[in-house]
Amino acid sequence: MTGDNQKWLDHNTFHHGEFWDILDLVKEKEKKDLKISLCIPTLNEEKTIGKEVLILRSELMERYPLIDEFAVIDSGSNDKTLEVAESYGADTYLASEILPEVGDKRGKGENLWKAIHQLKGDIICYVDADISNIHPRFVYGLVAPLIKQAEVQYVKAFYDRPLNYSSGLRSSGGGRVTEILIRPLFSLFYPELTNIIQPLSGEYAARREVLEMIPFPIGYGVETSHLLDLYEKFGLSAFAQTDLDRRVHRNQTTNALGKMSFGILQTFINRLHSQGKIDRIPDVETFYRRFEVEDGSYNQLVQEVVEEERPPMIEIDSYRERTVSS
Amino acid sequence: MMLETTSKEFDLGNLLQDLPTQIEKLHEARKLVLTDAVLLGEVPSPTFKEEDRIRLTVDRFRENGLEDPEIDEQGNASAVLPGNEGRSSILVMAHADSVFDTTTQHVLNVGPDTITGPGIADNAIGLATVVALPKLLKILGITLKDDLILLANTKSLGRGNLEGARYFLETKQRPISAGICVEGASQGRLSYAGLGTLRGEIRLEVPSNYDWNRFGSSGAVGHLNRIINQLLEIPLPKEPKTKMVLGGLTCGSTYNKIPHRGCLRFEITSEADEVIAELQQKVNDLCEQCSLENGTSVKLEVVATRPNCGIPFSHPLVKATRSIMDEIGITPQVIPSTGDLNVLIEAGYAGVTLGLTHAENIGEENETIQLPPLQAGIAQLVTLLQAIDKGICES
Repeated sequence: MTGDNQKWLDHNTFHHGEFWDILDLVKEKEKKDLKISLCIPTLNEEKTIGKEVLILRSELMERYPLIDEFAVIDSGSNDKTLEVAESYGADTYLASEILPEVGDKRGKGENLWKAIHQLKGDIICYVDADISNIHPRFVYGLVAPLIKQAEVQYVKAFYDRPLNYSSGLRSSGGGRVTEILIRPLFSLFYPELTNIIQPLSGEYAARREVLEMIPFPIGYGVETSHLLDLYEKFGLSAFAQTDLDRRVHRNQTTNALGKMSFGILQTFINRLHSQGKIDRIPDVETFYRRFEVEDGSYNQLVQEVVEEERPPMIEIDSYRERTVSS
Repeated sequence: MMLETTSKEFDLGNLLQDLPTQIEKLHEARKLVLTDAVLLGEVPSPTFKEEDRIRLTVDRFRENGLEDPEIDEQGNASAVLPGNEGRSSILVMAHADSVFDTTTQHVLNVGPDTITGPGIADNAIGLATVVALPKLLKILGITLKDDLILLANTKSLGRGNLEGARYFLETKQRPISAGICVEGASQGRLSYAGLGTLRGEIRLEVPSNYDWNRFGSSGAVGHLNRIINQLLEIPLPKEPKTKMVLGGLTCGSTYNKIPHRGCLRFEITSEADEVIAELQQKVNDLCEQCSLENGTSVKLEVVATRPNCGIPFSHPLVKATRSIMDEIGITPQVIPSTGDLNVLIEAGYAGVTLGLTHAENIGEENETIQLPPLQAGIAQLVTLLQAIDKGICES
């Protein structure tokens, strides 16, 4: 490991326990006149959303006013996600009703992108909705480095990630897609980014100025593209990461992870090209193919996975107008 | 005397009038309790290993601005909300331990009307209500004359034998006018007496040199089965009311190996201490008989005992509690306690145990509490506190 990498790890890697004094964070936030928004993107999360809203709102808005705004942005759930979130006090929005003039696309990245327009905070913190063991550390651990260090632009979570099996918990290491796909790719093309321990974690916080200047893939590639785009603009020094200890979440099937990897690869290859690391992109398919066996015969299953991207929010007229008027 | 009674009735009447408003205000405020219930309930706290949950509890006491937050030698967490006058104190307590060990996945699921997960009813929601009480009183605009002592007591369940609460009451520094034990379930529960109890384990071991050719030879399962049959044949008096529960059996590990040891857990409860002593002697005799007749080692270990104790049904504290429940529309269910209330009354204090809400699957990993009744459950607690504070519950 080079000296610079070690220096970055020493200075920019935190543990949430370092930020236990939330009152101190609130004071520093107020001193620096920062506003913080929290966004939870959802799609059919009625089982876990109530707890997330209850705990985060109660602890980080009412007990300690660290968060100024708390929104659940939904992709059109057909369960009671929004009803439950509202009953515990969240502001809820349908992604399709934010910036209606740009249309509606389905995907987590779409909700994250539209949150930049909908929410007012100088810092936006994103937390996935499927965390069974939600705790305030999932938010204060991510926004704290942004409050305390002006040079940090983007903070990523990492965990000891046990998966939720019926027989109990077992450690999964760094996540299967991270270890099998992302880490090898980063090692090949962006070795410095391998310092990010869990590049695909769904929890991160960033300053508005950087979020509004990068494009957002609407699907699986959004976390990867954030890292690659911000790394190109600012280098590793703009990043920090926080150990949030244990995160209990749903286990995804290998098939689902294969489809996810297919989407991430599209984003990655696009970035390799746009950042000049490869000359041209060959014609590639957008159909993900896999097999299943039924009664001794092999059937090919084909799913289309197109990683569409939203442009940087700063390029959207209504956003610029909103920014000017505010 | 007559005037005093009338004045107390008047004061209680005024408190009862406020109940509907209190219940309404508590609908929103209960989120404080639910948050603490989840945060505390997700920290494993088996009896004798309550340290982590207790640490979080005492942190909460500090965050809520209470005086003297401390953890004593038995691991109990306590703190004081000072009253305007502070001449006496009211104790509100909830046990911090649970029956679930640290290997159980302590994840609670929050639905629109329920919370489900190990230990939420017994007693995460009870503990959370005690912890949140100062904030709830503030929201409701209630200040007390007496000091309010909040206690999260340890070593309550099973082999803990109420040691935490017993130690706290033996060493406490302040005068106590009355106490309330808070349990998650079930709403309507009204305990004002402690039931005489004996909890024991019969441990059986077949020695390595056991004569398998002997008449009646058997493995641990066979011997324990015989003991169980003999226990069930012991006549129990109808008066005073007496009950024996065989609560647990551990023996063997597979299909085809004869086990050499086993353990039977049981509880005897009775309204008469002498009946319990008599039954203990019978169980002891039975163990000795089995040992000698079968060449095995059978030992009775008493793990917990409680004498009968109580305050009368007509005690003003019980009467006030019944009036409050009646006003809310809760039907009281008189249940003698085998828990923390026993040590409170044994120590000479008037006390009751209340339940906050309805619950299902208690003791299972899918233990569930109902949220809609919770605000009424908390309101009964708050109003009873006010009644004690106003001297309405003094005998």
